[in-house]
Amino acid sequence: MSKTIEGITTERSEKLITETLNEMPEKAQKKRRPHVGANEPEAETCAVKSNRKTIPGVMSARGCAYAGAKGVVWGPIRDMVHVSHGPIGCGFYSWGTRRNLVQGVPGVTSFAMDFTSDFQERDIVYGGDKKLEKLIGEADQLFPLNHGISVLSECPVGLIGDDINAVTKKMEQELGKLVVPCNCEGFRGVSQSLGHHISNDSIRDFVIGKREFEEPSSPYDVALIGDYNIGGDVWAAKPILEEMGLNVKATWTGDGAIEEIAATHQVKLNLIHCYRSMNYMCKVMEEKWGIPWVEYNFFGPTKIAESIRKIAALFDESIQEKAEAVIAKYTPGAQAVIDRYRPRLEGKTAMLFVGGLRPRHTVGAYEDLGIQITGTGYEFAHQDDYDRTSAEMAKGTLIYDDVSEFEFERYVEELKPDLVGSGIKEKYVFQKAGIPFRQMHSWDYSGPYHGYTGFEIFARDIDMAINSPTWKLVKSPF
Amino acid sequence: MAEKKMRQIAIYGKGGIGKSTTTQNTVAGLASLGKKVMIIGCDPKADSTRLILHAKAQETVMDKVRELGTVEDLELEDVLKWGYGDVKCVESGGPEPGVGCAGRGVITAINFLEEEGAYTPDLDFVFYDVLGDVVCGGFAMPIRENKAQEIYIVVSGEMMAMYAANNICKGIVKYAASGSVRLAGLICNSRNTDREADLITALASKLGTQMIHFVPRDNQVQRAELRRMTVIEYSPEHKQANEYRELARKIAENEMFVVPTPLEMEELEDLLMEFGIMEVDDEENIGKAENA
Amino acid sequence: MTENAVKKVYRTTPEEVDKVRKWILTEDYKEKNFAREALVVNPAHACQPLGAEMVAHGFKDTLPFVHGSQGCASYFRSTFNRHFREPAPTVADAMTEDGAVFGGQNNLFEGLENAYTLYKPKMMAVFTTCMPEVIGDDLTAFIRNAKSAGHVPEDFPLPYANTPSFNGTHINGYDSMLKSILEYLTEGKKKDGAPKESLNLIPGFDGNTANYREYKRILEAFGIPYTLMADISDSFDSVCDGTYRLYPGGTPLEDAADSINAKATISLQKYSTIQTMRMVKDTFAGSAEVMPMPIGIKNTDAFLMKLSELFGKPIPEELKAERGRAVDAMTDGHQYVHGKKFAVYGDPDYLLGLVSFMLEMGMIPWHVLCSRSNRKFEKEMKALLETSEFGTGCNVWINRDLWHLHSLLATDPVDGIIGDTHGKYLARDHKIPLFRVGFPIIDRINLHRTPLIGYNGAVNLLSMIANKFLDIVDDTSDDQWFEMMR
Repeated sequence: MSKTIEGITTERSEKLITETLNEMPEKAQKKRRPHVGANEPEAETCAVKSNRKTIPGVMSARGCAYAGAKGVVWGPIRDMVHVSHGPIGCGFYSWGTRRNLVQGVPGVTSFAMDFTSDFQERDIVYGGDKKLEKLIGEADQLFPLNHGISVLSECPVGLIGDDINAVTKKMEQELGKLVVPCNCEGFRGVSQSLGHHISNDSIRDFVIGKREFEEPSSPYDVALIGDYNIGGDVWAAKPILEEMGLNVKATWTGDGAIEEIAATHQVKLNLIHCYRSMNYMCKVMEEKWGIPWVEYNFFGPTKIAESIRKIAALFDESIQEKAEAVIAKYTPGAQAVIDRYRPRLEGKTAMLFVGGLRPRHTVGAYEDLGIQITGTGYEFAHQDDYDRTSAEMAKGTLIYDDVSEFEFERYVEELKPDLVGSGIKEKYVFQKAGIPFRQMHSWDYSGPYHGYTGFEIFARDIDMAINSPTWKLVKSPF
Repeated sequence: MAEKKMRQIAIYGKGGIGKSTTTQNTVAGLASLGKKVMIIGCDPKADSTRLILHAKAQETVMDKVRELGTVEDLELEDVLKWGYGDVKCVESGGPEPGVGCAGRGVITAINFLEEEGAYTPDLDFVFYDVLGDVVCGGFAMPIRENKAQEIYIVVSGEMMAMYAANNICKGIVKYAASGSVRLAGLICNSRNTDREADLITALASKLGTQMIHFVPRDNQVQRAELRRMTVIEYSPEHKQANEYRELARKIAENEMFVVPTPLEMEELEDLLMEFGIMEVDDEENIGKAENA
Repeated sequence: MTENAVKKVYRTTPEEVDKVRKWILTEDYKEKNFAREALVVNPAHACQPLGAEMVAHGFKDTLPFVHGSQGCASYFRSTFNRHFREPAPTVADAMTEDGAVFGGQNNLFEGLENAYTLYKPKMMAVFTTCMPEVIGDDLTAFIRNAKSAGHVPEDFPLPYANTPSFNGTHINGYDSMLKSILEYLTEGKKKDGAPKESLNLIPGFDGNTANYREYKRILEAFGIPYTLMADISDSFDSVCDGTYRLYPGGTPLEDAADSINAKATISLQKYSTIQTMRMVKDTFAGSAEVMPMPIGIKNTDAFLMKLSELFGKPIPEELKAERGRAVDAMTDGHQYVHGKKFAVYGDPDYLLGLVSFMLEMGMIPWHVLCSRSNRKFEKEMKALLETSEFGTGCNVWINRDLWHLHSLLATDPVDGIIGDTHGKYLARDHKIPLFRVGFPIIDRINLHRTPLIGYNGAVNLLSMIANKFLDIVDDTSDDQWFEMMR
């Protein structure tokens, strides 16, 4: 029995889509049509198409392969020097703008900074390999406690045919540390997504299996995959797993340590939160080392409890008992949060448009608070993400892939949600229109939102956004 | 006084055809006619100005940029030299083969020269001596809008030289569609092949252009080069010097600027066969080894 | 076997941490840090297209159009979103791998057509990312072809600028785009006869919207008709009234077109308008004046006197009074900042303005750092420092980054840091307050709504700096030194 939302029907959604797309030039309409649809929860596969080239000129929210590599996969690894190899901009814009928090002493043991080769004309014309070699040596000398160096190539590097892999190979031997090439030029692929994939491949080819844990292994060794510690998410999620009796040997890659990541082939189970960005390595570890993996969802008490039980079921009774104890311990607190906020939020609606997992994973957390999601979509998802989304959404709700700002405005105008959850580029568009908004990539400088502690903050933030008295001032009395 | 118009000319042609030698001798010819000329070498090899400057190799824009780190700190006098006949000389420079992006070096250099006012109004001619093939956008820089509007292709009676010339014409057609760049003629730099002048005249006519001059082969050119000089300067009275002066005069007076009509491959092969450059063979023998 | 032996997971020891933590503060480390030739760490500059985009937002009904990779556009937009907390509508033509090989003309065609239809701009300002710059896309031809193929109407304004990221910084992109837009709009608009009694004012790359409003207020006080270009004040400080407007502000295109006939054009940022002002000088009817950014009393005086001289109008009484009040604030407050040493970093023109203000306050601009500039700027800054005893011995660092500054602050410390948000780690590591000035400021709210130019700006700067020092005294003094008055 699939969910329904009052007033939301397949017919209404289809009509809205048709009317909106009709305003586009014919060629653009044709290209966009397969990317938008009304949800069919029962359908085996979601009809909305994804992972295609963005249409030129439509104002997309998408980033590039470099953004996926630097911002998502590599950036959160705290003990590596991540070199933005190419012109100045990419490293500058991605410096400290994703909120992947890390432990450590900045500049001494953690390196959430901007390291770049700041390409000039001469580097384009003569090539940058020699500069890169020198740069890696300098970085290692000045930041001696780094445990590795990643080289993330920007557009020009691929265009002029530099061979960064030869340089990193040489320098890895010289330094005795992991020196990893990542050919993530921004023109590759259609979005951040290929950057995730390329980064996973770099981990597969140059990192995994190169280290082993000192301490003896246990049957409860797991790795936490696809949590990037936005606003401290890992620090809210990891303790739950530990209370269940599991040993979290590595976190990928939020607050991650590259040496631990390199030894992750020794764990017994991989727990994956953001499927989109890390499924590749889970599959590699499964194929090569026989490590099973399981998806979970730590947003909102309903999904958290489901996930805890799903994970525990893969272990023995002692873990299962502890799992029940964890749920029993935290459920009353979560219920208190619901009791406090649900009456203020019951019956509200929200529309989402985010990145890797949140357009589906957060639905349950909103529902815990009495909020229904009338539309959702992803910047850079693939078919398997949409297939996983259909079941979470009510019948007839809007599903939009790589939605342009033009469309998104129209959809929101028609469905009039009480909240829009999306990114920084969308935030002020909707706020100007008087619509409450939360950034759902960065948790709007709040967080964590994962786990039980995160849920309380999430609930507070959503209530604050929707019920702020400032919205009442938007319309002037004169 | 009527406003004098600076003519910008790009010289293209297959690698090794003698572009740089022809260009410098022609420029020397123009200079000896009292014209003010600038040569911009657009080839990482940077050999477009040595006969004018009597230098082994001029310091290039990109060399200097590499040394200083940024174009902003580069001064015009660092890279602009005066040679025979007050010809201004600049080399764009660039990387060794196989690394970096030589095309971008051409863009960087020309932008710099424009920015710093190297194109002074007293110039009658600017010559761009461009690397063999237009392999990427950078090497098309000299024929973009507001730059060279006349192109001469240096060619000889050899098969590959003519293939290359035809290919370059295809490129010109593309740029001509959106700008005012035109083909101004073929310069035959003789290799003493059979019926060479007739062949190039025929090719030119099929391309819709002219063979503007037939430069005979003469060892005097090599003798002058040993002294890093043009024939014009080394032996102004020699008959080869007259050839280059004649070419210079024809270019100065040229008014035949066309959008070329490149040949289809078959058409070109027919022409080559007609002149005996390419042997006729039976279709069934194609791909068969000699002793098969 | 030994070669392939898998190493054990290494974890840094507390002793190692302690050792390096101390080492990075030493002279020895500084020496090694300054010996860097290839690595740049924590630069204080962005790339050209960001500046180009800011210009585009400063013209009415204008859509910035990025020719190149999609991701770049997202980076520029989010940087503006974070700094101003405002929308930054911009499209890209989303070139991908095939574009890299075959060139980006088809992307441009389709992008222009879609953007024109969907976002109904009156002008699109096209600028490039490094990808089409490396492959050598010919924008001149592409744009002409786009028009002749009917993707946008023939008469639709499409100024364009080449803004390679591997050359210069955001201020050079600002310059190229502004020049291109003005050249485009003013073409054929020059009228015969004397220039009209009007001023073109070009503030330069400035992320402070209140500065723009302040310029307008000053000109209105004078009664001088003006065209402010590129005016981002309403684009990036727009109203919240329930209606989202795609183009909430900017210099009207008709005004910009007529700017060629104005009596004078003043640029208040030399280094970010070099090409633009050269073009203005060559083609505009009126005079072209380049002045320092009016930060502090002297620079503001010079600006007002220039206005007075150009338009034959007396300095308005209200501005005279403002000057008096600002000087009053500065004489009253000098004791809280006099002789204090500062590190200041940012764009060349902002730095020249700030240093001028600091010298007149008796503050010492001990480390002046510009992470990408040239020898001309270095010379000019040194000459400015030499005009005052408070500039004696001060250091100018060009093409040095914030990690170099980290070493400098450890070995040759100061009392305060002035610069954008990116200096906050320096402030924390060295326990020195950071005064947020420049771009981007992404960790405090509303700072772009407080003017820093003009006489009022001088008061605001002084208040921000002096009051912070007083907070520090109150926060850190022992009980016996804690008192009511300061």
